[in-house]
Amino acid sequence: MATLSLRTIRKVLGANAILKGIDLDVQSGEFVVLVGPSGCGKSTLLRTIAGLETPDEGSIKLDDRDVTRAEPRERDIAMVFQSYALYPHLTVRDNLAFGLRLRGESEATVKSRVEEVSQMLGLGALLDRLPKDMSGGQRQRVAMGRAIARRPKLFLFDEPLSNLDAALRNQVRVEIKKLHASLGATMIYVTHDQVEAMTLADQLVVLNSGKVEQKGPPLEVYARPASRFVAGFLGSPSMNFTDAVVSDDSTSAVAEGLRAPIDRQRFGAIERGRKVVVGIRPHDVTVRKGESSAHGYRDGATPTEITVAVDVVEAMGFEAYAHGPVGGAPFVARVEGAADALPRRGDRLALSVEPAHVHLFDPETGRSLAGAP
Amino acid sequence: MRALAREALALVCAMILIVCARDAAAQRTVTVWHPYRGAEQQAFDQVLQAFERAHPGVSVTTLAVPFDAYAAKLEAAIPRGNGPDLFVDAHERIPSYLARRIITSADTAIARVGSDLEPIALEAVQSGSERYGVPLALKCLALFVDEELWERAGRPSLDSLESIARARAALPPSAYPLVYYASNAYFHSAIVHALGGQLFDPQRGTYAFDGSPAIESLTFVQRLLADRVIPPEVDGASVTPYFRSGRAMTVISGPWLVGELGGGRRYRVVVLPRVRDGGRVMSPFVTVEVAFLASNARAPELANELAAYLASPAAARVRATVGRQVVATQSVWSEPELANDAVLAAFRRAASRGRVMPTHNNMRLSWEPANQAIRRALRDPRATRVAIDQGRRRYEDASRPLPAKRSPLPLQLALGLIALAIALRSVQRARDPDFRAAVKRSMPAYAYVTHAVVIVALLVVLPLVLGATTSLYAGRDGALEYVGGANYWDIITARGGSLFASGTFYAVLLVTVLWTVANLALHVSIGVVLALVLSRPLLKLRAVYRVLLIIPWAVPSYVTALAWKGIFHRQTGAMNAILSSLGVEPISWFAQFSTAFAANVVTNTWLGFPFMMVVTIGALAAIPKDLYEAAEVDGATPWQQFRHITLPLLRPTLLPAVSMGAVWTFNQFNVIFLVSGGEPDGATEILVTEAYRWAFTRQAQYGYAAAYAVLIFGVLVLGTRLLERLTLGKQGGSK
Ligand SMILES: Nc1ncnc2c1ncn2[C@@H]1O[C@H](COP(=O)(O)OP(=O)(O)O)[C@@H](O)[C@H]1O
Ligand SMILES: [Mg+2]
Repeated sequence: MATLSLRTIRKVLGANAILKGIDLDVQSGEFVVLVGPSGCGKSTLLRTIAGLETPDEGSIKLDDRDVTRAEPRERDIAMVFQSYALYPHLTVRDNLAFGLRLRGESEATVKSRVEEVSQMLGLGALLDRLPKDMSGGQRQRVAMGRAIARRPKLFLFDEPLSNLDAALRNQVRVEIKKLHASLGATMIYVTHDQVEAMTLADQLVVLNSGKVEQKGPPLEVYARPASRFVAGFLGSPSMNFTDAVVSDDSTSAVAEGLRAPIDRQRFGAIERGRKVVVGIRPHDVTVRKGESSAHGYRDGATPTEITVAVDVVEAMGFEAYAHGPVGGAPFVARVEGAADALPRRGDRLALSVEPAHVHLFDPETGRSLAGAP
Repeated sequence: MRALAREALALVCAMILIVCARDAAAQRTVTVWHPYRGAEQQAFDQVLQAFERAHPGVSVTTLAVPFDAYAAKLEAAIPRGNGPDLFVDAHERIPSYLARRIITSADTAIARVGSDLEPIALEAVQSGSERYGVPLALKCLALFVDEELWERAGRPSLDSLESIARARAALPPSAYPLVYYASNAYFHSAIVHALGGQLFDPQRGTYAFDGSPAIESLTFVQRLLADRVIPPEVDGASVTPYFRSGRAMTVISGPWLVGELGGGRRYRVVVLPRVRDGGRVMSPFVTVEVAFLASNARAPELANELAAYLASPAAARVRATVGRQVVATQSVWSEPELANDAVLAAFRRAASRGRVMPTHNNMRLSWEPANQAIRRALRDPRATRVAIDQGRRRYEDASRPLPAKRSPLPLQLALGLIALAIALRSVQRARDPDFRAAVKRSMPAYAYVTHAVVIVALLVVLPLVLGATTSLYAGRDGALEYVGGANYWDIITARGGSLFASGTFYAVLLVTVLWTVANLALHVSIGVVLALVLSRPLLKLRAVYRVLLIIPWAVPSYVTALAWKGIFHRQTGAMNAILSSLGVEPISWFAQFSTAFAANVVTNTWLGFPFMMVVTIGALAAIPKDLYEAAEVDGATPWQQFRHITLPLLRPTLLPAVSMGAVWTFNQFNVIFLVSGGEPDGATEILVTEAYRWAFTRQAQYGYAAAYAVLIFGVLVLGTRLLERLTLGKQGGSK
């Protein structure tokens, strides 16, 4: 268990600035997830922490020791690679023991650790196999076991589940969560998958092109995205964004087919007439049944907050996504209901949204207009 | 169709005509083979033209055959009826040619020439009651004197080697009183004869370089070397440059030197001197050049006539004046033109003091042991006696009685039984309907593999089987008789001698194994290190270095081997030049085992490391980079990464390369043969070169050499198996 702190880490690879001043603090025992789109620099950051890359600028402290220029072997960090990087010529047993032996542990210690890890991960039957004789999931487990066996100060995972199929991914994800709980270790986990990010993280760090967009507990980041990028990145389907203008009384943001209430507590007084981007998650709208057309969705007289002319419906069984334009931008609404009660193409949907679920962003900078909470 | 038939008919008619015409022409054509070049060839051609003029309707076809392949060509061509009617060769080959029945008696031709031939030459061609071949010319050694140096040295007496040696003080340090091929038995024998000994006893037909005359002769030459009367390490080729550059007051050489000297220096030729003051004169071996009448000749009458003509005074005159030959026809020597030719006269006188080269078969077996004894004694005077004893042992080894002839019946019986068993089994299977159906089904597959099977059978299996069969035969000069496993028995028991004495199979095997291990260790370590350096991504000009380092591999190995032999030359080699610039004494690289072996290894390492390097570069590129990163994070130092990641992952690629390299090195003939040539005394010989010596320098003991080859094959099969077993064992659980 250890704490880690990064200060203004910068890294240039070739001609590109990959990391553009990253600050990050990881508390002892915390599970931090670095999330971001492909190519945003997550792996580079992780490799910098491991010591495989040296930052051009900034400092890295591990337990108050400055390790910015230290060799990887001097850091006592373990890393699980996306490709697993198992030693192909060694059996599972020797793969697990590799780091321990390099560190000069006694054979008795090595044996008991390997035993312990193989119990923990259910590798018992595989100990004498070579990597080439195992499935992807088994290899992934061995890669994790190799990291665990060493009992390092800090675990790094670089997209460890991305080579597994969906079912296995869900299963291993839960296991990792359990593992973290039982080991109580400090872990940094890189992924581009928001489900992994949301479910695993104690602290979520959203990266975008070499910079930290936002960090915080995952639900908080989800509920209060600090930027349009974060808002759009987390949640599936993605948040709807519509260009709008603040109404004369500053209580709502208005666009064609949209009148979104503004939470004054969150956003304070916004000058009227200001251009904003309104963000509403598909899950946060409620259908106003009486006012919707067809199949019970009646076209009402009272002004609704959002009106969608449905052109596509994706039925998922227990719910459906209705697509249609709002304020000149595509809009998706989640609709609950039985199959025969779902909206159809050509219907007009009247939707309402709670003020707390309306996010406002600056059209220029993409930052949230919410004041500091 | 009809047109085709007509053409075919025309073709057949034409061929019949050609054959008939050839037969008709053969009545009047005589075919002559000779090994002459230069002036001798010119003279010979003139003589043949004169013969044609004197015999209208006769045409002489000549073929100049290069000397090295001469005997082999004759032996192959004459029995098949497409050899010459008459050919020229040295008289020593008479027994061998008689054994192969390719020559016939020349008594009639000699009778036509009458009593005009030198008695010593006639003696040389006598075998039993008949004479084979008409003597044409005599060849032997004489003393060439550089007039200018001789005068500078104060015109010392040339009466004995001792008096020549005394000229040392009067000559500049770079010049020598005497230069000759001292380490060669042909040259040395002249001294031995003068001291009352001989190389070979023609009466008893045995090696005779033994006893006190041998020791005395060697001690004498050792003194000459120690006193710098003669230069060290002179071979046949380096005599001419000494003489041409004015650094040799006298030279012992044969008539061929006349042609090589040109007009550069003023010299004269005299007979060989005495060895000691007042002692006996040196007596060189005399070789007689003979016109042989081929058996199986198409025009025996004409050949007889031509042979007589070649020895006639008219022809001899041309051969002497134009071809500079010391002709065996006595009458022409009284003619003024020849009587005044000082050089030819000197050689003639030298021949008259010489002794005819024995024709006994074992004579040829004596050269190699005698040469080695002389070389060793001159290199290390303290080992003179040992060297002489070793020479005798080598001779006995090479001339040992052939194994007893055995009846091949047991083998034939066994093979017959096996064949019978196979035949029975096939018949049995052929009756089985299932088997027949299976064969029928796989017919198309056989069609695809047939050509490959035939080619492999012809190119690989057949030579192997023939080689293995030859190993069951013994004999010299290709006359083979079945002896069963006697060759193997002789090799494996070291013919009753001590198993690890020099030259035994085991001793040579030991050297071969040492050679292979030393080379592979160097090839692999140098190759891997260079590959690691060249695989560093930061290295600039990587591609250029790679190409440069592959060059040694791309050059043909014999070229490289010869280049390195030059580098290790004692006087002119770069290696000694570098050493002497560092203040180190020059080394005679091929004079002791350690340095000769090292020179071979250096050469072969130069040839061998690029292969390992290229293989390693490929294997390195295939190791995923993230393994190194994983290891680094796991705590591995660079050395540990190399030890635990690079090496084990190179192993699967390197292993086949190493076992291939082991086979190549084990059988690396070129380097051993061309660089050290087995020197000193065959100590650096490996199994293949040793097999070569048995086949080609020890009277063509093909059977014995073939047994060697089969044993080499066996050793290699076992060796590679063992290597595989060992390394697979080490790889642990992998399959
Ligand atoms: N050695 C390198 N040289 C130049 N550019 C690199 C190098 N390694 C990675 N990059 C670039 O850096 C960016 C970030 O890479 P990476 O950290 O692997 O992203 P990800 O967030 O997908 O893990 C990518 O655009 C990649 O192309
Ligand atoms: Mg990555």
